[in-house]
Amino acid sequence: MKKNRGMIVTFLTPALIFFVLVFLYPIIRTVFMSFYKVESVTAPSSEWTFTGLENYASLYGTQLFRTSMWNLFRIWAVGGVVVMSIALLFAVILNSGIRFKRFFRAVIYMPNIVSAVALATMWLQYVYNTRYGLLTSLFKFLGWEKLAAIQWTDPTHMFWSLLFAYCFGMVGYHMLIFSSGIEKIPTDLFEASTIDGANKIRQFRHITLPLLRGVFKTNITMWSITSVGFFVWSQLFSTVTASNQTITPMVYLYLQVFGAGNAVTERNAGLGAAVGVLMGVCVVCVFMITNVVIKKDDYEF
Amino acid sequence: MSFPTGLHFENYVKAWTSQNVSVFFMNSLMYASISAVVLILVCAPAAYALSRFKFFLNRTIQSGFVAAMGVPVVMIILPLFGVVTQLELLKQDITIRMLLIFLYVGINVPYTTIFLLSFFSNLSRSYEEAAAIDGCSPIATFWRIMLPLAQPGIVTVSIFNFINIWNEYFISLIFASGDQQRPVAVGLYSMINSMKYTGDWAGMFAAVIIVFLPTFILFIFLSERIIQGVTGGGVKG
Repeated sequence: MKKNRGMIVTFLTPALIFFVLVFLYPIIRTVFMSFYKVESVTAPSSEWTFTGLENYASLYGTQLFRTSMWNLFRIWAVGGVVVMSIALLFAVILNSGIRFKRFFRAVIYMPNIVSAVALATMWLQYVYNTRYGLLTSLFKFLGWEKLAAIQWTDPTHMFWSLLFAYCFGMVGYHMLIFSSGIEKIPTDLFEASTIDGANKIRQFRHITLPLLRGVFKTNITMWSITSVGFFVWSQLFSTVTASNQTITPMVYLYLQVFGAGNAVTERNAGLGAAVGVLMGVCVVCVFMITNVVIKKDDYEF
Repeated sequence: MSFPTGLHFENYVKAWTSQNVSVFFMNSLMYASISAVVLILVCAPAAYALSRFKFFLNRTIQSGFVAAMGVPVVMIILPLFGVVTQLELLKQDITIRMLLIFLYVGINVPYTTIFLLSFFSNLSRSYEEAAAIDGCSPIATFWRIMLPLAQPGIVTVSIFNFINIWNEYFISLIFASGDQQRPVAVGLYSMINSMKYTGDWAGMFAAVIIVFLPTFILFIFLSERIIQGVTGGGVKG
């Protein structure tokens, strides 16, 4: 053991240096920063003034930030339910012994490997375009003039168009996680229940669902982490900074700290740090709640 | 669907040459490949040490890495930006590039380590025992025997890292301030913004396709491996 100590240290040090510099130190500094008034991000800590919880209070009092939190919640909750349901459905279908399983799995997962900027551009400029866009042409072809006349990216529809496009791309990832969970369920369980006369729906209800509890936990946690970082889609869909239809906390932080656009008046990087801390707290809360609600698997396989 | 004016491949040529797409493309290629290689050099030894040896803090380090996989970028971006500007790293081309690679590597260290850790745990210890009997030192055993054995896992996680870094957006947006250092995702965004005003739709879609193609082609050939990368490693059911 002793003779390996040198090796352990040399093998671990580079990874730990990255971990400390990129995660540990910034997280601690962000938490501290959120309790101070900080003129600019670049100000050294000696120039910070302690204000306690004022940053959080001020965020709470900002209409724009409240809108952004409300949007984030809608993305997380509505998008989450939609994505999880479709992902689970697809995963079950994929594992029901259909042909070309690998092909369908790859196709559904594909949006995840494409740059979100490219994807969002295609949705915005092609699918939702009202002059030659896919939706408009499709509805015109079908003769549904009312639907064809909808301006998909006007203020009333913008948010839901955005959420739909986002969810479309996210299904694949969560489907894969569900699918790998289903693959781990021993097939003899299904065979035994088939012999006992259970149909597909009852098998799903009484075998697949209970055994996927752990997978649900993983999926909800991953969904929360990606939701919190919701940025690219929002930035691309809101063409003008004046529109707060699609603002999310991360966009708010970007506007607040890096001062792009004129939506923010007060220069205080502490506010940005408070946004960051709040997002971290959200993820931890969701994680803890799912851990309490979804009991640990008592069945090992 | 019909193409009233026929196919125009010159849109691609135009997008590639006039709109800086070639610059963004080369930047991304450089960042993603260098980072993917550095990540293996940094994470494979760490994962090996964590998987093979019992020592003080082993569990703590593993838990730290798993927790870091769930840390949103918003929680770390401000101090990073503060430190980087204080060190005046955003002034020169070469420092910006090195900084970006450093950050891409750092952000992906926890995921890569945890992925490779589970891979090394599944390799039999008898290889090391045999090597030890033949007089091979532990470090040589790692480089000559264990690392080559872990090759499938290394390839999978590298493809995954490459794609993630190719598509990375927020960090690049904050730190790659000049056109010359921009990777494709941010470059495409700035291009779209300018093309909206010039109305060069064909050029814009050409640029989108150029950004989209490399990861798409990788996916066509390696989709099974990429899918393994999602479900294997860090994500446990």
